[in-house]
Amino acid sequence: MTTWEKIRPRGDMFMWMVIFILSFWGLLAIYSSTGALAYKKNGGAVEIYLLQQSGLLAGGFFIMFIVHSIHYKYFISLSKLAIWITYPLLIYTLIFGIEINGARRWINLFGVTFQASDFAKLAIVMFVTRELARKQDTIDDFKKTFLPILGHITAICILIAPENLSTAMVLFATCFLILFIGRVKIKHLALITGVVMVAGILFFTLLFVAPENALKGRMLTWKNRVESFGKNEIDADKTYQNDHAKIAIATGGIFGKLPGNSIERNFLPEAYSDFIYAIIAEEYGLIGALIMLMLYMFFLYRAIRIVLRSPKAFGALIAVGLSFSLVLQALINMAVAVNLFPVTGLTLPLISKGGTSILLTSVAFGVIMSVSRYIEEDEPEGKEDLMMDSTQTTIQKQ
Amino acid sequence: MAANNRKVILIRTYTAFAFMCVFAAAIITFLFKIQFKERQHWVDLSENLSTTIQTIEPARGSIFAIDGSLLATSLPIYDLRLDGKAPGFTKGDVFENNVDSLALMLSQLFKDRSKAEYKRILTSVKKRKDRYYLLKRKVSYPEMKAVKEFPIFRLSKHNKYEGGLTIEEKNKREKPFEYLAERTIGYNMSGIKPVGIEGAFNKDLSGKEGKRVMQRIAGGTWIPVNDEEQIEARNGNDIHTTIDVNIQDVATHALMRTLVANDAEWGTAVLMEVSTGEIRAIANLTRVSEGKYSEKYNYAVGESLEPGSTFKLASSLALLEDKKVQMTDLFDTENGEKRYFENAVMYDSEKGGHGVVTFQHAFEISSNVAISKAIYQNYKSNPVQFYNHLEKLHFTNPLGLQITGEGKPRIKHPKDKDWYGTTLPWSSIGYEIKVTPLQMLTFYNAVANNGKMVKPLFVKRITNTGKIIKEYKTQIIEKKIASPETIKNLRIMMEGVIERGTGSKLKNPNYTIGGKTGTALVADGRKGYAQTIYRASFCGYFPANNPQYTCIVMVNAPSKGIYYGGAVAGPVFKEIADKVYANSHNLHGDIKLVLTQTNPNPTIIKGAHKQQLQTALNTLGKETKRSDSIEENGSEWAQATILNNKAKVTPRIINKNMMPDVVGMGLKDAVYLLENNGLQVQAEGYGKVKAQSIPAGTTLSKGTKVTIKLG
Repeated sequence: MTTWEKIRPRGDMFMWMVIFILSFWGLLAIYSSTGALAYKKNGGAVEIYLLQQSGLLAGGFFIMFIVHSIHYKYFISLSKLAIWITYPLLIYTLIFGIEINGARRWINLFGVTFQASDFAKLAIVMFVTRELARKQDTIDDFKKTFLPILGHITAICILIAPENLSTAMVLFATCFLILFIGRVKIKHLALITGVVMVAGILFFTLLFVAPENALKGRMLTWKNRVESFGKNEIDADKTYQNDHAKIAIATGGIFGKLPGNSIERNFLPEAYSDFIYAIIAEEYGLIGALIMLMLYMFFLYRAIRIVLRSPKAFGALIAVGLSFSLVLQALINMAVAVNLFPVTGLTLPLISKGGTSILLTSVAFGVIMSVSRYIEEDEPEGKEDLMMDSTQTTIQKQ
Repeated sequence: MAANNRKVILIRTYTAFAFMCVFAAAIITFLFKIQFKERQHWVDLSENLSTTIQTIEPARGSIFAIDGSLLATSLPIYDLRLDGKAPGFTKGDVFENNVDSLALMLSQLFKDRSKAEYKRILTSVKKRKDRYYLLKRKVSYPEMKAVKEFPIFRLSKHNKYEGGLTIEEKNKREKPFEYLAERTIGYNMSGIKPVGIEGAFNKDLSGKEGKRVMQRIAGGTWIPVNDEEQIEARNGNDIHTTIDVNIQDVATHALMRTLVANDAEWGTAVLMEVSTGEIRAIANLTRVSEGKYSEKYNYAVGESLEPGSTFKLASSLALLEDKKVQMTDLFDTENGEKRYFENAVMYDSEKGGHGVVTFQHAFEISSNVAISKAIYQNYKSNPVQFYNHLEKLHFTNPLGLQITGEGKPRIKHPKDKDWYGTTLPWSSIGYEIKVTPLQMLTFYNAVANNGKMVKPLFVKRITNTGKIIKEYKTQIIEKKIASPETIKNLRIMMEGVIERGTGSKLKNPNYTIGGKTGTALVADGRKGYAQTIYRASFCGYFPANNPQYTCIVMVNAPSKGIYYGGAVAGPVFKEIADKVYANSHNLHGDIKLVLTQTNPNPTIIKGAHKQQLQTALNTLGKETKRSDSIEENGSEWAQATILNNKAKVTPRIINKNMMPDVVGMGLKDAVYLLENNGLQVQAEGYGKVKAQSIPAGTTLSKGTKVTIKLG
């Protein structure tokens, strides 16, 4: 075995490739899009962000590599612990969190500033997949299986919601998707849908009926965001971000302005996180934007293939759950940039600039790759005995 | 795990994947929609939104008097606006905790609104989220500095937009000497016809605008796109005039007093240096209401009018130069009446006439009959010869001055359609023609200058940051207007006017004057000369033996019964001449000179009103170090010393019962200070105070007379 063979990352090489491509693409995009931020803070020195991001990226790869070298079963057992750490973290954030841009989302622990919701995301997705995998046999049991899982999901989302409603909603949707994949009874899922819809209608009615001064905390921001969504006219600051995102996409054309030539990065607040997809479309054109979207979808497709080979629902569910979570987040970020969704504040995994969230995203990717790797190693191809139907046999033989 | 379960999981996973595909498809649809369907809209919008070209305003140049004092300068003033959406207004409790103290401080600083009123404004701006509320206009530099330090606003120290105070700099044109030569300094305002030096030298003064391409970036911040594309603003040049502030002051006030005393409509007085043509003083006053006059129109430059008897000098020049008459030729004044035509009778101002007089004496007593007869007899057959003289004297065309708005003269040519039989005799005494007072002055000045005619000069130099851009030299427009013999005779006649003629009131033992009076009937457009409105004038030079200055004074429509040039305009001339002569360093009264001890740090500004001094220093440079005690000390007065090349302002404590040390002060400040202390001030000379008759520190009693000597 050569040295490379010893140290090379294992698992699905296509997935690794996607991760690498997106990460480096992200690095380039950050370099372009931090122009405005750099101007405001450092008088134009963009290099500092490039270095910062490179450092984080290197750290991210390191974490991914370490995590993927550890058998995923350890993470699954850790998820129970993680979920119990999550609760105090979220409560701490709500009370002592640091306010950035009007939202109290950040906490400072041992000198590291991070969003507890990022951690919660990872913990709850892993916890739910674990629970679903463990309880596959009693999956239809409302009281023993369904309620406890839903209870955790709801509790976590409710703790995130006050300061970060969009993350809470996306997290809930992701969990719902995982519950669906994890064979939760359609009847139960319908029940969740019903309850959520009623609650949602009530909430938004309240938001719009109540006088503005009665709205507490971030409620006004939410209202504004929902209001500005879908408008095509320049209305003061309300549609400012969306308009500039659209200008970026439109002026990018089919082939783009080429890397480093974005104009709109100067106009878009958070060009390096929330609206980075618009900058991608501006610099790399429609083609670049489509390729990026396809890369995420391809990653998801490769993740789904794990299910086909996974001997246990355990590993498959966790990989698929995390993949869906990450790709859904990516799609929502893109949907915001093209104004399909209102502004959520969700980042584009692997691409957006962001300190510690990159590291937690790396953990998530690392776990997915761990599943990919150990499924390959534990159950080499052909030894699959659970492949019952013909379709999968075909895929397996590819 | 049951196989069936697996199957279900697979089916559900694919279903979820299908859902994701639909989602991805929706994003692609939107991408295409923006890219193709809405493309034009966004591209257009981007062109409108992205950049703007910001002009960088240059600082307008200053206008200086001959001694370097500022006649006009631009002071920065500031408009303060509030941004109700700035963090200082919206974030946390900052606003609530500080609004009271902010309102109080604003109220204390500006003293125009109560604290409660300011609080109400601030709260409402916050509530309405007004991003551009005009808090206060035209705030001075020190005030602006103070406001920046106020609670909430001072958040801007970290981030320009955080405090919610938007400061817009503007320039305000300030004339430190207010109405002195105001019309000649002029103005240049948009929408109004520019006037005076400001108008004529606008191109020099205004400098060149700079340009900068700005882009709006996140958070509403505008940033310059590219430093290389920036065009720097070039500040305006400074204009150095020939005006002497002290003489100007005398001229304005002497004219003012006469106008008030005679309740005249308007008046003008101009003083010109003989050899150079430099205008030392130019006053133009118009009655705005009874007893109130202000600079409204530049009569000296702009008003072309019938000069009356002062024009007889031109007629005499022609006659003497052409040797048509001798000084001693006798003329019959014919009982003061001469009928030229059926309806055209020329009268002398003295009824019954002067009998038979020499030509010289006819000039001295300003006999219309004698002078017009001399002209009529000699040029009747060849009036063009007379016209040619006037042309040579530059009466027929404008002088082409440095400042705008010069009036157009009108001298009839014998071939003109409106050349009548009366034209020749009447123009010989200054009617049926129109010239500007400055043209007349230029002519008299040429006579005083031994026949060399120079153009009036208003501006000597244009500089930029001390570097000379352009220099204006005295321009000779006629080398020799007449032979030395003629000039000599004209001056003998003009001195005779003072010695024994219409200007005898100006006679004084100190120095001699030569000149000519004029008392013109003013023609009203519709009513002709029927109104008996007069325009009194005097034009002359001094000292007669060695002319240094020429001066013209014109008073229009005096209405207190006195209207002769010698009586109305003469005294103004005399007052100006007296002052100028007194300062000519050969006439000194005896005053006890008090010397001040020498200060190792030269005091540049000995004493000045504190606020004015601050304003001045602010203008000079914002870096000027100010001793803070000036704010705390109760004294209104301050002095500035130069220490290590930095101006330092310290308060000057003035004790009301003690004679202050005014040495080194300007006249205005010294007089203000002394009169405030109850003293009667007599000032001599011009410049800064050199000596004072009462030593500093002497205990004073009210009404004591004090003489100060300037130099």
